Parts: sequence; C-alpha cells; structure tokens
Amino acid sequence: MKLLIVEDDRSLSRSINDYLKMEGHICEVALTLNEAVQKADINKYDCVILDIGLPDGNGLDLIREMKSKKLTGGILILSAKSSLDDKLIGLKIGADDYLTKPFHFAELSARINSIHRRNNYLGMNEITFNEIRINTEDNQVYVHDKLIILTKKEYDLLLFFIANRNRIITKESIVEHLWGDNVILTDSFDFVYTHVKNLRKKIVASEGRNYIKCIYGFGYKFIDS
Amino acid sequence: MKLLTKSTFYFLLLSILVMFAGAVLLYLTIKKVIYRQIDESLITEKTIIEDQIRQTDTIPDFEGTFGHQIEVKLLNYHIDKVQAIKDTDIYDSKSDSFIPFRYIFSSGNYVGKKGFIITIFQIISEKNELLHDIEVYMFSLFFSLLLISILINYLIARRLWRPFYDSVKIAGRFDIQSDKPLDLPETDIKEFDQLNRVFDNMTSKMRNDYLNLKEFSENASHEIQTPLAVIRSKTDLLMQQKNLNKDSLSLIKSINESTTKLFKLNQGLLLISKIENQVFHEKKMVSLKQITIKGLENYKEILQLKRIKVEMDVSDEALVEMNEVLAEIMISNLLSNAVRFNIDGGFIICHIDKIFLIMKNAGLPLTINPDDLFKRFHKSSNNPQSVGLGLSIVKEITESYGMKIFYSCHNDIHEIKLQYHYKGNSPWAF
Repeated sequence: MKLLIVEDDRSLSRSINDYLKMEGHICEVALTLNEAVQKADINKYDCVILDIGLPDGNGLDLIREMKSKKLTGGILILSAKSSLDDKLIGLKIGADDYLTKPFHFAELSARINSIHRRNNYLGMNEITFNEIRINTEDNQVYVHDKLIILTKKEYDLLLFFIANRNRIITKESIVEHLWGDNVILTDSFDFVYTHVKNLRKKIVASEGRNYIKCIYGFGYKFIDS
Repeated sequence: MKLLTKSTFYFLLLSILVMFAGAVLLYLTIKKVIYRQIDESLITEKTIIEDQIRQTDTIPDFEGTFGHQIEVKLLNYHIDKVQAIKDTDIYDSKSDSFIPFRYIFSSGNYVGKKGFIITIFQIISEKNELLHDIEVYMFSLFFSLLLISILINYLIARRLWRPFYDSVKIAGRFDIQSDKPLDLPETDIKEFDQLNRVFDNMTSKMRNDYLNLKEFSENASHEIQTPLAVIRSKTDLLMQQKNLNKDSLSLIKSINESTTKLFKLNQGLLLISKIENQVFHEKKMVSLKQITIKGLENYKEILQLKRIKVEMDVSDEALVEMNEVLAEIMISNLLSNAVRFNIDGGFIICHIDKIFLIMKNAGLPLTINPDDLFKRFHKSSNNPQSVGLGLSIVKEITESYGMKIFYSCHNDIHEIKLQYHYKGNSPWAF
C-alpha cells in the first residue's frame, strides 16, 4: 500500500513511517498542510494518515481539498483532541476513520487494513491467510473451507491478529481494540487470555495450525510459519 | 435578626426611654409651676389679710379672692410666728368624698400681745384636672411622634439598604463557571459602591484564575497526548525488534504499562474538564435500561470469568434527559466499579425505577474513607492499576445535571444510589 503520513511531530511521524514500512507499506511523510496538499496532488495514495492540528492549518482542509479534486484513497484522522465535534465533522466531510492519540501501532495497522479493504475490495470481501479464510461481509470464518463459529470478540481478535501478523501485540492494545477506551478494566488481561485460548482452540479443532504465540507477560504474536 | 428590624428595635427602645424620661420631667415641671402659682396666690392673700388685721385690729370683712376659703382667728395672747404651706384632703358631705386642698397656715402677732392665725384653703382638684389633661395630650403627642419617627426611620433605612440587599442577591447567584461577570449595580452610596467594586474585583479575579486554571489543565492534557503518542510509538517499534532478550522485554513491558496508565489518567482528566466545560451539551431522552443492557454486554466475559451473578430490575420508564455519551460513560463506570471491586462468585444487583438508579455489589470492606470515594485519585491500595478517576467522573456527570449520588455499605454489600429525578414521592425535597 502507498501511504501518506501527515504529522507535524517529527519524532512521531518518523515512528509511524518506520513501523508502516516494516509492515511492507510504501510511506511518505508530510510535516505541514501545504506539503501534504502538494503531495496528495501529485501522487496517488491508498490511504492518508492525517493529523488535524498542523502548524499551517487544520488537517480537515486537506480532506476538503481531496474531495473537491475527487482524489481517491482512504483517510484516517489522527488527533490529540478527542473532541466529538472534530470527529463528526471529519467523518462527515469524507474521512473513513478516526483514531485518538496516543494509539497502538497494532490498532493503526488494523484500521488502515480495514479502510483499504473497504475501499478496494468491493464485492471481494475476503481475507485469506493460509488455511484460514475470512469473509468480512457476513463476518464468517472458514478453516480448510469449513465454517467455524466465533463470537463477535473472537472474530474481531482474529482480524486484529491477521492485520498485525508477525508483530508483538500487547494485551493493552487488544483490550483497547476489543472494548474501546471507555471501558476501564484492570483485571482484563485474564479474559484477553480466555478469548485467545478459545480462538486458538476453535482454529485447532478444525485442523488449523496454532499461529498464536504467547509472549509471556507481554502479549501475543500471530506467527506465519 | 434583620439589620432593619434590629435598628428599628433599638431605636424604639431608646426612643421610649428618652420620651418616658422627658414626659416625667415635663410633668413634674408643670406640676411644680402650678403649685408655685397656687402657693404664691395663697401667700399674697395671706399678706393682704395680715395687713388688714394690723391696720384695723379686727377681723376684716373679706371674701376670698382667687376662690380661696379663708379662716381667721384672733387670739388674746402672744403666739410664735409660724408659716407653712401643705396639702390636705377635706371631707365633703355633698359628694361624700375627700377633696384635695392646698392650704397656708400662718400665725403672727399684731398690736399689743394679741396673736392671729390665718388659714387659707385653695381647692386643687381643678388644677389636677388640668394637669391630667396636659398628661393625656403630652402622652398622645409623644406616642404619635414616636410612631412617625419609627416609620420614617424604617422607610429611610429600607431605602438606604436596598442597594446592599440587591448586591447580596446578585452575589448569591454568582457562579464561577458562568461566562458572565458579576456586574453589581452602581449606587450613589459611597460605602456600598465601594463594597460592590471590591466584590466585582474579587469575583472577576476569581473567575480569571479559574478560567486560566481550566485552560491550563485542558491545554496540558492536550499537549501531553502527542508526547505520549511518541513514547507509545517508540515502544511499539522497540518491541518489534528481533533478538530482544527477556530483560529488555520486561523493561519495555513496564514502560508500556506506565504509558497506558498515564494515557488513561490523561483521558480521564480531559473528560472531566470537558464535562465541566459543558462540551456535551446536546441532550435527548435516553433510556437507562437500554444503556445498562448495552453496558453489561461489555462485561459479559469478565462476569462469566469471575462467576458474578447479575440481577436486573429495571423499569422501562427509566428515562432521563441528558447527553447520551455521558449517560453511557456514567453507567459504564458504575458497572465497571461494581465488577472490578466484586469478589469471585459475587453478585451485582441493578435496580432502576423512575427516580433512582441503585447499583449493589458484593465486595470486600472498603479500605478508604467512604467520604473520599467520589474524590479524584482516591483509590484502594489493592488495585495498583486503577487510576482512581472512574467514580469522580460519575460524580462530575451527576453534578452537571444536578443529580444526587450516595454511597452506603452494609455487610460488605456496597450500594451506590443515584437519584436522577426529583419528581414523585421523593424522600429528599428539593
């Protein structure tokens, strides 16, 4: 995927750049709104990761610019302000998703994947990972073409793992992904474990391989090996 | 006691004292003047009679001038010279009563060694009547003067103090969170005007300080987000590196946990400042039943894991007009609290009617003071991962809607009672 990262904080934009490159994406970084508008004009990006508070203007202006020029590509807003208004305006004028700082890279990765899927695979809502096949339209999972029944949380967890395969995923990021920010659970790690255990059991029961590796005290890694 | 009542009371007390003393003094003076007149006329009469006796050596033929009754006796022997003026009552057979008289008794000698005694009586009941009339007039005059002066004093004081009462009324409505300054009305009374200016300055300083502080904490929270994002992104990158040994991983894990905690803390504070700033101003009718059911859905797994039984007794009519997001956060935090501090195999009882939302849960005894339960950063020591903001957020939300929240605990069953409506037969009258 070709991505444009619009973020004025050099340190953060470099991290995002490094991480997404590691994921195999092609990334470009714009530190100002002006630079971003110019880059978006010349190149075609699959997704723009956009910070709203930029030194020379509001990131929402880039969305308006892109929409008026009918430029394709998904838009993911990053913002330090978790203000509801910003979020609603952004989504209303054409952004695909909204992520509040600070975020986990695993979450960013999952969101970019999901935007990309929605924008590009119209009618082809299928993710295939070795023997696992996921139909994202009717939310069904097949292992060796055999349907397995997952709960909503297990399904979300599987998608999250596949979007971040071969990466260490912390338990915190799983909790945030599955339950959102507003749910404050302190002993939630135990039941992340329960969900992972159940998911693994269901895949293995259909003769799928055990891809989920536990990194003790830390989180999990979905290994393609 | 009101100032006006008090000043009127003192005025009345002092006026009565002064007027009473004045009246007594005046009465005594008038009485003295009248008696002096009587005495003078008695002495004059006596002198005339004395002169006549001396000139004629006989008892003069006289008729009492000034309405006096005169008795004269001549004696054949010498008598000491005596003169006295006294009061006496004389029995009157006609009216069968004693009538008060003033009389002069005088004895002396004339040619040779002959003495005489003169007694002259003056009836004083008429004079007493005059005195009585004066008394009545004086009293009514004083009384009406008193009434009028009290009334005038009351009216003037009321008028003078009005700017003060106006200011007190306006100052009483002062709300530090309101966007309007206090603005007390101007008055032509210098002292009150001074007071008003002092009030105005004080409150505007308070408001400025408050706004600055609010702005500061809001900005600080926002500014913290980006560095936090940087830290989180760097640790995310760091932990993806290959060949990390166990020690490095455990270091990253601690950094990660602290970052998450800091993030939660910041998020909570930001939420509180948003509630205070009334960012969530959109209101609609929300069903507490639906929100509670939806909220419980999030805790389904952990409830199973901890084997916690949930008992719901929720009315369909549990409707409240508030912001939906805040209602969700409020219920979610209450549920989270009930789940988090529950015991293995415990229970949660959720009862919602038209007025109250009651959340009961089994748990361990409280390790903190119940009064501090809703305060920020007060958390029990056995929960290091908690940031201690959950219930203070609930409190902040309930306060912003004027709801009341109470905590009680009996036999390790903790109960949080939220009164969200004041209608009906409420035990608390508002």
